[in-house]
Amino acid sequence: MPDITATVNEFVNELKKRKIEGSQTTSRLAAELLRSVISQQRLPYTNQAAALIDAVKAVGEKLIAANPVELAVGNIVRRVLHIIREEDLSLTTAAIGGLNVAGTSDDDVDDDTDDHPVLSAAAVAAASRSTLRPPSLQTLLEDIPVTTSVPPPSSSGGESEGKSKSADKSVRSRKLKHDVIEAVNELIQDIATCHEQIAEQAVEHIHHNEVILTLGSSKTVLKFLCAAKEKKRSFRVFVAEGAPRYRGHTLAKELVARGLQTTVITDSAVFALISRVNMVIVGAHAVMANGGIIAPIGLNMVALAAQRHAVPFVVLAGSHKLCPLYPHNPEILLNELRSPSELLDFGEFSDCMDFGTGPGSPLLHVVNPAFDYVPPKLVSLFITDTGGHNPSYMYRLIADYYSPDDFAVQPKPGS
Amino acid sequence: MWWRSPSFILDKQQHLQHPDDNGDEDSSYSTLTMTGAAQNPNPNSNISAYYQTRAAHHGVVTSDWLAQAQAAVGAREEGSDDGGEVEVGQKKKKVFDVIDEFNNWRKQPDLAEAVAAIRALASVIRSIEASTMMELEVELKKASDCLKSWDRTSISLTAGCDLFMRYVTRTSALEYENFSSAKARLIERAEKFGEISHKARKIIAMLSQDFIFDGCTILVHGFSRVVLEVLKLAAANKKLFRVFCTEGRPDRTGLRVSNEMAKLDVPVRLILDSAVAYTMDEVDMVLVGADGVVESGGIINVIGTYQIALVAHSMNKPVYVAAESYKFARLYPLDQKDMVPALRPIDFGVPIPSKVEVETSARDYTPPQYLSLLFTDLGVLTPSVVSDELIQLYL
Repeated sequence: MPDITATVNEFVNELKKRKIEGSQTTSRLAAELLRSVISQQRLPYTNQAAALIDAVKAVGEKLIAANPVELAVGNIVRRVLHIIREEDLSLTTAAIGGLNVAGTSDDDVDDDTDDHPVLSAAAVAAASRSTLRPPSLQTLLEDIPVTTSVPPPSSSGGESEGKSKSADKSVRSRKLKHDVIEAVNELIQDIATCHEQIAEQAVEHIHHNEVILTLGSSKTVLKFLCAAKEKKRSFRVFVAEGAPRYRGHTLAKELVARGLQTTVITDSAVFALISRVNMVIVGAHAVMANGGIIAPIGLNMVALAAQRHAVPFVVLAGSHKLCPLYPHNPEILLNELRSPSELLDFGEFSDCMDFGTGPGSPLLHVVNPAFDYVPPKLVSLFITDTGGHNPSYMYRLIADYYSPDDFAVQPKPGS
Repeated sequence: MWWRSPSFILDKQQHLQHPDDNGDEDSSYSTLTMTGAAQNPNPNSNISAYYQTRAAHHGVVTSDWLAQAQAAVGAREEGSDDGGEVEVGQKKKKVFDVIDEFNNWRKQPDLAEAVAAIRALASVIRSIEASTMMELEVELKKASDCLKSWDRTSISLTAGCDLFMRYVTRTSALEYENFSSAKARLIERAEKFGEISHKARKIIAMLSQDFIFDGCTILVHGFSRVVLEVLKLAAANKKLFRVFCTEGRPDRTGLRVSNEMAKLDVPVRLILDSAVAYTMDEVDMVLVGADGVVESGGIINVIGTYQIALVAHSMNKPVYVAAESYKFARLYPLDQKDMVPALRPIDFGVPIPSKVEVETSARDYTPPQYLSLLFTDLGVLTPSVVSDELIQLYL
């Protein structure tokens, strides 16, 4: 597998150099990379799922460490891990169901180290409850006796169900890999189509003669607005230019090309104009577990202005941006300081920024953070590819997409 | 009483109607249970047994208060003896068993209230001579109702009983077993519950480590085993933080907490309950335990939590709650007076003229909008998750 390590390293390098941008591209590439990792991974006879999980985790740790701020990578790694767990479970349940019906008995008991077949169907159901669902009150009393739940002899169906054929097993191992790759393909498909699915809901949210405000540029927002325009809605868009990268300019250009009435404003004019706005629609960099968002710089200000005038603040985010972590210290841990050259021209300011000439430290500092944290109480609505959700509902989506064992892929998060 | 919410009035009426209901039923057992319940062994029925025990376990008590408590306990025993003389019959014995058993367990300072309740129910299962599952369920239901009505002020007692009853009625595994093994399984689970509660605290401590960063100041109110576990683990992880403890009148729980912190070499400052707003600008987060987490996601906790949460909210400081998930209770208080009043004696050190009314409530309700996150063994939750969990379990 030398070539897969090379691909991984290449991807890691590109992440480190920030050559890959945008969470959609990053997550698609990450998913594709993990898919090839899985397809090239050799599987042992027993415990294939664990082997796969280990392999994916090893690669995942590298990817996350390469760019910890790009949370989408971590999300995809966790999604893939969850997929493996899910597929493994559905396979074992199916296998045991089959065995129960067949009632075959065979003599090779030795490979029973694989723990699934000895358990009764009820035990497997219990296991599925505990692995796939996050812990809940319901399972509180049922959960503990994982070790003690070996059912009493009177209740188990019979000893014959305990054995499985090795031939059957190798079929199963191939099947597991196949199923996992299939599911990862679906995931890649989802990532690719998430813009369209979000855009489909545009007409429900944008009405005639409304004024929409957005800041910077986001592909999701562009598609969303265009979808509303295509469905014959006529509305106006205010675009805050999004200093220091001024991506709002490109967004404005594209909107005008599609025939939308567009107004470009400076970021500092947002508060002045917010009273005329009906709805703020923005994209996010990542959605945290508490419903807060990590968003391009300047959005917290927009959210506060919107709250002041009771304007709905709507965030568009594909489900790959959903991150199962809580922002403990978002301003410091989940931010990135970009080059000062985006703000200032080195030619003009080189004398006051020069470390060599002056005595001691330079008097001029430039700080250029890339992201803002917008707390959940400022967000009115999330529109994801599965529909519109309240910020306080994010945890439920997270419970659907991730298994709790994978929340900490890294040994030390945030370091 | 026009300002009270309707649910409160309904509760009240139910409570009053209880004896009448019993009269209609001809089952002698049920009458006995109910009379056992209605005749609250606590003679000062307006004093909360739950908060008495808490104070005895966690507070630094004055000798004066101790004497008072002693008197109360003595009176209570007398009361229950009276009851014993009035009630005759073999089954009554069992009813009292539950409560006695429960009281034995709750006397252990390390045991959570819900654990004590579930252990008491387990002992009921053990002593019951029922021969079918249905019978067992009915008997158990009676015992748990009796236990619940014995101390209405204890939320974790109610929640623990409900959780266990739900387990008994809902667990599909029990349906396929014969009666004796099902019974054994139930008893085993109940015994294990102490372990769960212990494990839950460990999980909560681990989950909350991410939120305690170096150099932070934590304001702690009330004595909570979970909070203590969190702080202990943080200290063991060599985090640098300091703790502000409120004094916690009238139990003076703050003294106990500050003692524990001093033992751990954590810098600690004891503040007056009334100094919370004064010190809040230095505080980075408020960390409290909970007596119960209600369906709205709000918490019920020792008195003073609400005002601390209000101060913290107005100064934009996060309020974190550490609570085990078995404290989730199916209650939906709409305001402070919407719960059964839990009162406890307060020692002012000087005689209070009889004309002066003293507010003696031991707990208050903190609405969910003032809480940031709940640290539970189910994970770190936003307050709105609580109702989801409860609905999943009980509907």
